[in-house]
This record gives sequence, structure tokens and C-alpha cells, in this order.
Amino acid sequence: METEARTVDNKEKECSLLVIVLDTNPSQQIIRRDSHHVTQILDSICAFSNAHLMQRPQNKLAVLDCHHHGTEFLYPTPGRPLDIRQVDGQYEVFTLVEKTIKQKLAQIISDAPKMSGPCESLLAGSIAMALSYITRLERNRPLGTRINARILVVTGSNECASQYMTYMNVFFTAQKQNIVLDVCALDKSLTLLQQGCDITGGQYLRLPQLEGLLQYLLWVFLPDPETRLKLVLPPPVKVDYRAACFCHRELIDIGYVCSVCFTVFKSPPPIAGKPKKKKVRQM
Amino acid sequence: MAEEDDGKEYRWETGYEKTWEAIKEDEDGLVDGAIADIIQKGKRKRQAQKKGHSRLGMMRHFYVIVDCSESMTIPDLKPTRIMCTTKLLEMFIEEFFDQNPISQLGVIAMKGKRAEKISEMAGSSRKHIKALSQMSKTQLTGEPSLQNGLELALQTLKMIPSHASREILIIMGSLTTCDPGDINTTIDTLKKEGVRCSVVSLSAEIRICRHLTVETYGLFSAVLDDSHFRDQLMQHIDPPPAAQTQENSLIKMGFPHNQSEETKEPALTMCMCHIDSNDEPSKLTAGGYQCPQCGSKYCELPVSCTSCNLTLVSAPHLARSYHHLFPVNHFREIPYTKQRELCYACQKTFTDLEKNVYQCDLCKQIFCIDCDIFIHDTLHICVGCTTIPMAAQNIHLREPIYKQNSQHSTQ
Amino acid sequence: MAEKDTKSLKSILQKPVKLECKDLYEYLKTRSADVLERLYDYPTICLAVYRELPEIARQFVIRILFVEQPVPQAVIASWSSQIYVKEHTAATAILGDLGVWRSAAIPGGLPAWELSATFKRNLKIALLGGGRPWTMVNVLDTDSKARDIAFLDNYAMSRWRCVLHYMVGGATKGPDGETISPDAVRILLNANLMKRDENDGGPVITRQGFQFLLLDTQAQVWHFMLQYLDTCEQRGMSLPECLSMMFQLSFSTLGRDYSSEGLSNTLLSFLQHLREFGLVYQRKRKAGRFYPTRLALNITNKNSVAISDDDTQHDKGHIVVETNYRVYAYTDSSLQVALLGLFTELLYRFPNLVVGVLTRDSVRQALRGGITADQIISYLEQHAHPNMLLHEHSIKSKSPLPPTVVDQIKLWENERNRFTFTEGVAYNQFLSQSDFITLRDYAQSINVLIWQNERNRTMVVTKNGHDDVKKFWKRYQKGGS
Repeated sequence: METEARTVDNKEKECSLLVIVLDTNPSQQIIRRDSHHVTQILDSICAFSNAHLMQRPQNKLAVLDCHHHGTEFLYPTPGRPLDIRQVDGQYEVFTLVEKTIKQKLAQIISDAPKMSGPCESLLAGSIAMALSYITRLERNRPLGTRINARILVVTGSNECASQYMTYMNVFFTAQKQNIVLDVCALDKSLTLLQQGCDITGGQYLRLPQLEGLLQYLLWVFLPDPETRLKLVLPPPVKVDYRAACFCHRELIDIGYVCSVCFTVFKSPPPIAGKPKKKKVRQM
Repeated sequence: MAEEDDGKEYRWETGYEKTWEAIKEDEDGLVDGAIADIIQKGKRKRQAQKKGHSRLGMMRHFYVIVDCSESMTIPDLKPTRIMCTTKLLEMFIEEFFDQNPISQLGVIAMKGKRAEKISEMAGSSRKHIKALSQMSKTQLTGEPSLQNGLELALQTLKMIPSHASREILIIMGSLTTCDPGDINTTIDTLKKEGVRCSVVSLSAEIRICRHLTVETYGLFSAVLDDSHFRDQLMQHIDPPPAAQTQENSLIKMGFPHNQSEETKEPALTMCMCHIDSNDEPSKLTAGGYQCPQCGSKYCELPVSCTSCNLTLVSAPHLARSYHHLFPVNHFREIPYTKQRELCYACQKTFTDLEKNVYQCDLCKQIFCIDCDIFIHDTLHICVGCTTIPMAAQNIHLREPIYKQNSQHSTQ
Repeated sequence: MAEKDTKSLKSILQKPVKLECKDLYEYLKTRSADVLERLYDYPTICLAVYRELPEIARQFVIRILFVEQPVPQAVIASWSSQIYVKEHTAATAILGDLGVWRSAAIPGGLPAWELSATFKRNLKIALLGGGRPWTMVNVLDTDSKARDIAFLDNYAMSRWRCVLHYMVGGATKGPDGETISPDAVRILLNANLMKRDENDGGPVITRQGFQFLLLDTQAQVWHFMLQYLDTCEQRGMSLPECLSMMFQLSFSTLGRDYSSEGLSNTLLSFLQHLREFGLVYQRKRKAGRFYPTRLALNITNKNSVAISDDDTQHDKGHIVVETNYRVYAYTDSSLQVALLGLFTELLYRFPNLVVGVLTRDSVRQALRGGITADQIISYLEQHAHPNMLLHEHSIKSKSPLPPTVVDQIKLWENERNRFTFTEGVAYNQFLSQSDFITLRDYAQSINVLIWQNERNRTMVVTKNGHDDVKKFWKRYQKGGS
């Protein structure tokens, strides 16, 4: 019985930090199809954020916005928080979260430079920023407490192979810092981010339809990693870790790897001399 | 004398020398600021040293030779030399495999004039750490034999194909070595085989060790205290410049993937990694990685297939090593003059306590000291360059430049 | 031969009463379903109850929060994995106990769970908005003399200390010459933290009172408030109203002023009581606005730690414990000294420093008084000097105290637990040694013998075994005679 009391005691000294990376790039298919989707997604995210804060008073939240021209924090914002009074029966803190996120996002969208054409969402960079933020909180935490941090990426973008290296660095950093990476794909399935979930032990979910986003979020992503063990959740997806060869870009089982620059070839090229200048394999 | 030739001062003479001269009182007569400054400089020193490497030997075969003689019982490092060494080595091994995923490492102990393998060359940290903790419990007796230790390591390293970098790190507590023959012949062989030997001495500088490191292009250091010891070990985490004798070649590797089809239930199989161990017997499981050549199953990657000797890796493991090829640019240190309110990466509000901030030359964003260290040591990507589309384009266009190594060309 | 029940002995040897600290769940469990339903009419209480639920139960509630029909019990059972079936049952039981959900039948006869409609509606309001604003949030013009957080903290602590001082010093006045109202005294008496002295009728501190003092402030406030709420019906206050007010305060923002406009009379007098204990700050009785203090925030959380990015200043500890069992306390408060004196032998006293030493005798005396080793350790930990916390880095132990001291205090406690109590029946005054041996051997053979002494022919058997032994004895006597 004593040990039971201990664990409860320790629980109190833990805090669960959720960092949401929200992709609002207007080039996304789902947004271009219907711009109302943005509001719908945003509402779901706000409700989900509040549900996270509702779990325990110690829980912390941060929301990052990845827009086509850069990444910014939606919540918390630096400086004094907005002075918000209750307008209805909603808990004051929740109202503050919702208002701050919406206000800040509106400001970002109106300040954004005009887009010349569709462009990729730099999600890997946004995750890197989230990692830096988590690391700072981790550094400043009071003694004897623990922060269980996780990152949730909500995106409808396609992933771009050009970010491969950034993604990998981000995944391994997260793994090293014990930060779980969850991904909620709104549109296409994302193989790269799927690998990230697998490496860090997070959940990957591709949404069958946008309706009911909030229920999906609450169902799969609300429990923290410790609780997930106790619940039945979608089984981990099989992730394909095969490398693609440099010459034909095919996925291969057995390849030849350069000992200096780690370029992968499908078969030994005729002259396997010293590589003077070679482009690195991008995925 | 060899040690006079390189014209450098000893590490322990430069680092913290005359630190009191750097300490200046601020207006309130406090020295906190100045001390923080010294610590910051120390933190950044390591990353500054990273510069300059061009061709790296990233596939490393690394032997750690630990002195387990009587001299390791001395409690000048707390609690004893051996305890301190084991703790730091555990950390070192974790970090080593984290940063060099497809490298291999082995541990050798020297005691009672003999050398003995504590753990064989292998690619996963768990086994080594277990072996280490067992090693620290055994009795520390007699004198070490440097020659025996080196010869034992050499036996294995000789067999390694020439494309891999061969390295030995010796942790020496004793001031003497008791050798069966002429150690100079061993050093000559090591030199011929291109084995890079480094020594960390826990007591004082020893001539023969210094000679060994100079001959084989390794590093020599004597430690001041435990944190200095740690720094000295951590120097060996980053891959060294490729040795002259090292060839470039293409290595055959397997990329296992989950063979099971989506439709049918995967068959239960035994894994090869635990098949021989008694304390953790192999279990029948469905998951795992299968060698594409012979079909043996392993629970962990990277691993070298025990039946067909193929190196099995996954694509992310290769990617993990890329950051050695594309190190993040060194950030420029600029005095803080309220340029920005926040650190770009972690959103920390800059206060007047901030002496310096750090700017990336590519994306012009400003970071705090902690993020500067985090970005260079752990993240290996600049947060600014990867979030701002204009800068991101530049970074993706960046190419590795392979120029012939200049460091050893004097040979 | 005589049989004697040893039960009475047990009650004599029983350990001293321990201070019972209920959490919100234990408190609410004892309320009737009717009361609970009335409580759930307030979004604040729903929110507080939700947070107190076990982890899995919270997930269950949030999953069916937006589902309109009852959900089959089998479906919910399938949500948790097999290994944790025990936790699942516990969670379901708690949800049932608190009336958060109740069983319902769905067409087809399957048993199902359905969230209480009131709870569901009000939790949704708290989470998503809608409904009426909480009572205390009328719009106010900015306070011309707004109080900052440091002031509020100071105020709250000085008020709270006043209560604690009263407990230690009895009727004597606190350091600021302030006393507490008869109402507060009544609560202390009612909670068994103090009792009327047999001689002069003045209130004196009880054993539970000392244990209460060793709790951390959060737990003290919570325990005290529960006792207060127990008496509030007698005072003609409505429990749901008071409880909802208390949780509203606990969910408010520190350093912000709230309006007391529109509060009912009972709530206004409740507010005055809270003001007395330092849970809220009000400049004047009729000021129309008040500031909740840190004491009122997160009231149900026994030892919550603020994890924030800006390092807020907390109550600095003042106690240094050395490995030689010496305890140095940098304090001039007679309360702190009195508390320390409970389990240390005080050696010296200086204007701002008290030196004591933890000895076996001093700790045992505290243990005899019903204070547990854990309470002593947690008190020392809570008030550990910041410099003690620095040591935490070098040795990887969780506690800032020297491990030897912690272990020793625990050992001293274990020393006292050498007795194990077993209920039993004693048999003695046997007429012959052979009778005794036969019966003893029988009792031993059926594993019910607890203790025996051949010389004075006494044996004790367990209560369950008593019947068997008695029957055997009767048979034996018949056969023998």
C-alpha cells in the first residue's frame, strides 16, 4: 500500500507537455478544396488542446503554426497574456487558449506575404523549433519534477523528400530526448513522418475523413504515452526502412554503400574509385 | 623531442589557465557574470574544434583498452578511478553508438601483466555496458601491460577490411607498463596498419604513451578532474579524419524490412541475437528484421548477420551519420544589444543578463547560448534555416565537399 | 480451562489514531446520489471531479462525452488492454461511485453505461463554453490599487500562519497580535485538531493536530476546508453552493481581481470566512472585489508543483540536515521551532537560527505521539534549504536529505513495529500437561496455533480455528473421561 501512495505522489510531480505543430499552409489540398476546413480544423485543435489541459492542472500546452512563410508560436505567446474575462461557462484558462490561438493565427495569416505558387510546408523545421522549446523547459524545470513531452503534428501537406535530412536529425534528437512524436495525417499518408513515429514510439494516424477530427484526436492522441499502454489503440504501422539507391531511386534489399559518404548503390558501379563530388541520396 | 615539435601547449595548461585574470567584477562587485562567461566559452569550445575535418572515417572499429591494474583503486577521481571510468565509459558508449550508428566497439582490460577481452567487437551498446559493470566488480591486481593490450586489439583490427577506420583508445591509470617484448615494434606495426591510438592518462603524462599517440596520429591527454576526463573522452565521439591507409570502397549491406504481407499473419520465428545467450533466451515473436540474404532474424538493427556476415542497417541509420558530413555552420557570437526580444528557437526572452547572442550567417536568426549548443551538439540542423523557406532552399542545395585530407598529407 | 478473548488487549495496544486525509474522491463518495446530482449542476465542480478521476476513467469520460446514446459496457471494456483489467474495473467502479455514469439498458438488452446528463452538460460547458458565466466574473473596472502576486502571497501566508500559531500557542496571541475568530476555533475543535482542555476548557492541540501541522500548506488547507464544509450545513449554507465557490476560486487566475457583486448572502459570508483564512484577499468587507490567493488555487492538489518557464519564487526552505543528524533551521518563527521540537532535541537557539539533533529518543517520542516517519521526512524535505537542493545533483537521490538520516528515521519507526497483532483466543488453566500437549498438537496440526507456553500451559489459537479446537476438546474430554 505504501508503494501505491508513492506512485501517486510521483505523479503529482510530473507534468505532461503537449506541443502541437499545426500546418496551415494554404497550398494544402484540403484547404484549397474548401477553405472552411481551416476553421473546422482550428476548432478541433482548440477543443483538443483544452481537453489536454483539462486532464490535470499540471499539464502544459504549446501550439506552433507552420505557415508557408515561416513558423511561429500560437500559444503561449511571449509577454503578458491577453486580458480575458469569462464570457460564458467556459473555464477561464480554456477561453484564454482559444482566443490567443485564434487571434495570433489571424494576425499571421494577414501578415503573410503573398504566395507566388504552391510551396511545401517546412514541418521538419517546425518540429526542430518545438524540440528547442521543450529542451528549454526541460532545462528550467524545478528539481525533482519530470516533464513528459510529446509533439503532435497535424498536417494535410505532402511531404517533400528535400527535407529528408532535417527530418532524420529531428527524429533522432526526439528519440534521444525521450520525446514522443505523434502524427495525424489529414490527407495523404506520410511515409517519412511515419518513420518518425516508429523511431520515437509515437502514434501515426491517417484520417479516413475530416469529419469527426476532434473525436479521432481525443481517441488516439489525448492519452499520454504511459496511459496508451493501458488502452487499445491502432496497432503500429509497418514501416519500410529500406534505402533507395542513388542511381535508380528504387527501394533495395541489398545495396553497396560508399564507406566515406554513405551513398547507396544498387550494384557496384563499374569504377568504384574515389568519389570526388557526389550528391547525397535524398531518401 | 616529439612533444616539442607540434608547438602546442598541453591541454591542461591552456584550458583554465589564469582564469582569475578573466574574472572581472561588474558594477555591483559581483563575479557571477564573468564566471558564466568562462563556462560558456568552455561549452562552445568543443563545437569550434569540430571544424576543419573533411574526409571522415565514419565506419569505425574502435577498441577501448581499460587499465584494470592496482593503480585504478586510487581515489583521486571520486569515488575511485575505476568507478569513475566505468561510469564515464557507459556514457561514452551510449553516445558513441548514437552518433556512429554503423560502427563497432570492443573493450579490453589490462591487469596482472595480461590483457583480456571484456567484450567482443559489436555494434550495440547494451552488451558492452553490461560487460563494463561486471568488469568494475572484479579485483584490480598487478601491473598493466600496454604491449599485450595493443597486440590483442591489433589481432582483431588487422582483420577489419581497409575501408573502415581502426582506432584504439587507452585509459591508463598506471605510470608504468610491464611488457614482454619491445613495445616499439608493436607501435611500428600499429603505424603500418593505420591504427589510430589515443591515450587518456588518469595520472600524468607518460613518455611511451605520448610517443604512441604521436606516431599513430592519435590524441594524448592527462586528466585534471572528472569533468575534464569526460571532455577528453567525448572528443573521441566524433569520427576522426580518415587515415591515409584507408581505402574508399563500396560495402555490401542489407536493408531488412518486415517481410510479412499485409494480408497474412506473420509467422512466429526465433531471433538470432538471443539464440546463444542463457540469461535472455530467444523468444518466438512475429516482429523483427530479416536478413535479405540468408533470412536470419534479428530484433535490433544495426547488426552484422551471424550466419552470412552481411551488415544489416536501416536507412535512418545511414542518415544519422550525415550530420558529420554536413555540420551546422558555426554561429557568430555577437554582443547582445536588444536586436531581438526572443531566441528564435526556444522563445526564451532575452534579458540584460545575456552578454552574447549567436547568429546564424545563413538565415540571420538569433539564438541564445543554450540553443546554440543544443543545435550544434544534438539537433545538427539550424532551426532558422529549416523553418524559413528562403534559407531552407539554400541548405538543401548545399553539397558535401570532399577534398583530400590535408591533415595527414605531410606524412 | 478458560478461554479468553484477546480482543480487548488489542484495543489497548492499538496504534494512536492517524490523521485521516481524504481526497476529493473519498469525500464525494460518502455523499448521497442526490447531493452529487446537485453538485454536478456546477461546471466548476464537474471540472474538479473530472481532474480527480483516475487516468483511464478520464479517457473513458472524454471518449463518450460527445456520444449521445448509452455505450454498451462490453464496448468500453474492449478499450483497455487485457493486462490492465484490474485498473479498468477500478476506474469503472469509481465512475459509478461518483455517479458520473450509471448503467442503462440499450435495445437488445445489453448492459450499457450512460453519462449523467447533468455532468455531461456541465463538463461540456466548462470545456467548450456556453451556458451562464460563473458567479464571480462580473465585469469590473480596473482596480486603482491592484495588488501584485507577492503581496497576495504574503497576505495569504500570514493569515494561514495565524491559524497554525493559534493551534500551537493556544489562546495566546499570534506574532502580529491577531487572533482567529470563534468560528475558526469551532472548526478546529470539530475536526479533532484541537480539544477542550479538561481543566480550564481552553482549546489545546491534539495528536492529530500535530500531524496536521506537519502536512504541507496545500494539504492543510484542503483538510481544513473539508472540515469546514462538513459544518456548513449546520450554518445554514448550501453545500453545493460553497463547494462550487471553492472550486471557482481554485480555477481562478492568481493576481486577478474578481467581483463579489451578485453573490448570495450565504456566499458572501463564506467569502468572509475564506478571507479570514487567507484564501482570498479583500481590502474592505464591502469592497465589491476580491483577489484569490495561492492557497485557494488548485486546492485539491495535495502537492502540486508549478512547472513554468519563468522561475517564480516559491517559499524558500530554511532547514539544513547534516549527515551527523544535526538539524539547522534558519527561522525565528516560534511555530517552526515548536514543530521542529516535535521530533528533534533542540540544542541551541539564536535569534535567527535553531540547532537541533535528531536522536533515537526524540524521534521515538514523535512516533509515540502518532507522527509517522514519512511525515517527519516529508516535513524536512518540504522545508529543505535551497542549498540542500543543490546537493541533489551530485548524488542521484530523489530526496534532498542525506540518505543515512532518511534510512535511520525509517529504521527507528520499524523498531516500533516489532509487534504483529493477531486476533485470537487464549486457552489456559489446563488440568494436566498431557491435555495441554494433545490440544496444542492438534491446533498445530490444523495450523491455527499462534503461541504456546508449555510451562504455564497457555496457548493461543486464531479466531477462525477456535471452533475446531473447541469441538476437538469436547470430543477429547468425552473420549478421555
